[in-house]
Amino acid sequence: MPRVLTKSSWLIRQCWRGLRDWCGDSAYERYIRATRENGPTYSVLSPKDFYVDQLNRRYSRPNRCC
Amino acid sequence: MRTLLKTIAWIAVALLGAAALAKIALDRGEKLNSTWFVVAGVCCYLVAYRLYSAFISAKLLALDDTRATPAERHDDGRDFVPTNKWVLFGHHFAAIAGPGPLVGPTLAAQFGYLPGTLWLIAGAAFAGCVQDFIILFCSIRRDGKSLGEMAREEVSRRGGFIAQLAVLAILVILLGVVALVVVNALKSSPWATFTLAMTIPIAILLGVYLRYFRPGRVLEASFIGVALVLFAVVAGQWVADAPSLAKVFTLGGVTLAFSLMAYGFAASALPVWLLLAPRDYLSAFIKAGAIFSLAAGILVVRPDVLMPPLTRFIDGSGPVFAGKIFPFCFITIACGAISGFHSLISSGTTPKMILREGHARFIGYGAMLLESFVGVMAMVAACAMPPGVYFAINSPASIVGSTPEAASTTISGWGYPLAAQTMTSLAHSVGEQTLLNRAGGAPSLAVGMAQIFSSTIGGERLLSIWYHFAIMFEALFILTVLDAGTRVGRFMIQELGGRVWKPFARTGWMPGILVSSGVIVGAWGYFLYQGVVDPLGGINSLWPLFGISNQLLAAVALVVATTILMKMGRLRWIWVTLLPMVWLVIITMTASYQKIFSANPRIGFLSYANALATQIAAGKIPADKLADTQRLIFNQRLDAGVTAALALMILVLIVEALFQWFNLLTRRREHTLHEVPYVQTRWAEGFTGTAHGDD
Repeated sequence: MPRVLTKSSWLIRQCWRGLRDWCGDSAYERYIRATRENGPTYSVLSPKDFYVDQLNRRYSRPNRCC
Repeated sequence: MRTLLKTIAWIAVALLGAAALAKIALDRGEKLNSTWFVVAGVCCYLVAYRLYSAFISAKLLALDDTRATPAERHDDGRDFVPTNKWVLFGHHFAAIAGPGPLVGPTLAAQFGYLPGTLWLIAGAAFAGCVQDFIILFCSIRRDGKSLGEMAREEVSRRGGFIAQLAVLAILVILLGVVALVVVNALKSSPWATFTLAMTIPIAILLGVYLRYFRPGRVLEASFIGVALVLFAVVAGQWVADAPSLAKVFTLGGVTLAFSLMAYGFAASALPVWLLLAPRDYLSAFIKAGAIFSLAAGILVVRPDVLMPPLTRFIDGSGPVFAGKIFPFCFITIACGAISGFHSLISSGTTPKMILREGHARFIGYGAMLLESFVGVMAMVAACAMPPGVYFAINSPASIVGSTPEAASTTISGWGYPLAAQTMTSLAHSVGEQTLLNRAGGAPSLAVGMAQIFSSTIGGERLLSIWYHFAIMFEALFILTVLDAGTRVGRFMIQELGGRVWKPFARTGWMPGILVSSGVIVGAWGYFLYQGVVDPLGGINSLWPLFGISNQLLAAVALVVATTILMKMGRLRWIWVTLLPMVWLVIITMTASYQKIFSANPRIGFLSYANALATQIAAGKIPADKLADTQRLIFNQRLDAGVTAALALMILVLIVEALFQWFNLLTRRREHTLHEVPYVQTRWAEGFTGTAHGDD
């Protein structure tokens, strides 16, 4: 039974993480992780600035199909 | 032993799929259960994925998991983000699946269920998925370059220019036609209009919340937004029941058309975080929920398909749109079988986020299979209603009349029995004044979806709620295409204008923003307006134009893919992209020729214009209708010109490609493959992206 619970909780965590990644909820965390790993080659944006910057990038090219 | 069992299992899947297809194709009984469609689709997709995509991966592309992808090489957390393959599959699917796979099959159901279903399944497996997969692969190998850039580098500068023009043409026509679908769905419907209008303040509320209060907390904001939108669906009924409010939200086609243009202009010119992005979040969640609910509903309810496999309209006299199965079925169903627009997504965000080359098969080929399945579900929903009802909803008043009695007489005369009372009581049960003459596919799909949903939850009592939920769902994500497309069109016009006068290209310069937004909205708005005032319903003229432009872009993508494969030395397997390309050129050229020159005024733009001109000359047009008729003549000639321009682009591209291929094959010119050099991945074999940093 505990094994089933562990598996279930792992699965729920994976689904939750997948959902956050899919909808963009975790985008800032990923951005911070990337800047940490790659070194500070550019100034790190605040959550507010990153949010607007990311939207401007995303909606300047075709991203929704017919 | 294990291999043997696997082989037996795959043979069983293939046989089951073949049996289901045979049942669909050969059954001439009274009713066919929709389960056969699900079984045929799923088995064919599984076999296509297991065999054909594996063959393409191994023999044609030689996908290499040891090669670092752009996401790994340039990982910046902004454009290049290594992403788990399931998450990226969701991203890619949400991006490619728009209203097309729902509306196209619904319109093509006028031929019967058979041609559209076969084209959806075969077209996806052998053309659409191949295009998406190979363009994704090509873009991954070129650091995520766009289709236009690849066309310029690998084919020629002219090829790149044609690709750019094709994208602009498809954008303008697409936005005009999807806006027309929304207008026809909302016309004279205060409930639907109120619900959709409410999504604008809800989106703005979310925009402010996400920008100032909880930056980037998309999930919690979306939950709030979805709850508010669902409340608006219910509240719409109260508005429709209150005469004073209902009057405000009961709008005619022209008013709705101008409202949509104003909305498109605002969404393009306002900051993206205020309206466009939050609406997209809402739309993504509701789209995913509604599509999966539709699939689940069909599996649970298993409705009988009432439409015959082939209707009498295969002869080209269809009331929804005129033209024979060939080529018009293949033009009408683009998304769901093959859509050129997908190549922009496959060479846009997705290649910059892919973790391994090997994932391209699952994401490129697999997501398109899922979209095709959505198309099959839409076909089932459209064909599950009595054919008489389907034709009454989708035919223009000029063909079936504008009263239930007239429609009943005309449609029953075609051999599809329809009592006048049926349409009146159906409209009443879904909370509408009328469902007649709602060409465009959205209302009939909403009726089909509502009937399936209400058979699962709520019964007849909730039919009106489900209907308006379905209308809201369709209109919401069509508006997302509309505002996102208008914004992209604005950038393209600014870029083109910047070649003439540099300051115009500055995307933050307000006069440039306003002028370019006005130009793009004016362009698609003109097509929308002419569709709204067209006595033949608009869809008859505009949907084939959209299909032709979309397939033109697919032809561009397949030319690029074929050229790259030739340069890679894969001549033996070149038919994989060459055959779908030849097929697309044949159908687009045939459709273009017929739309311009057919002697039937319902098909040929010029013959319709000439017929109207003859009526004016004979004095048959009343004086008060003279100006409208003159405008109609101009519109028909304009559509003929646009179709001719699209056909010309295809011809120029083909000649250009043939010249390039001749040079390549005869080694007259040194060919350069513009792939980025091989870099070995730093990630371990078992690395999936889920544990990337934040585990």
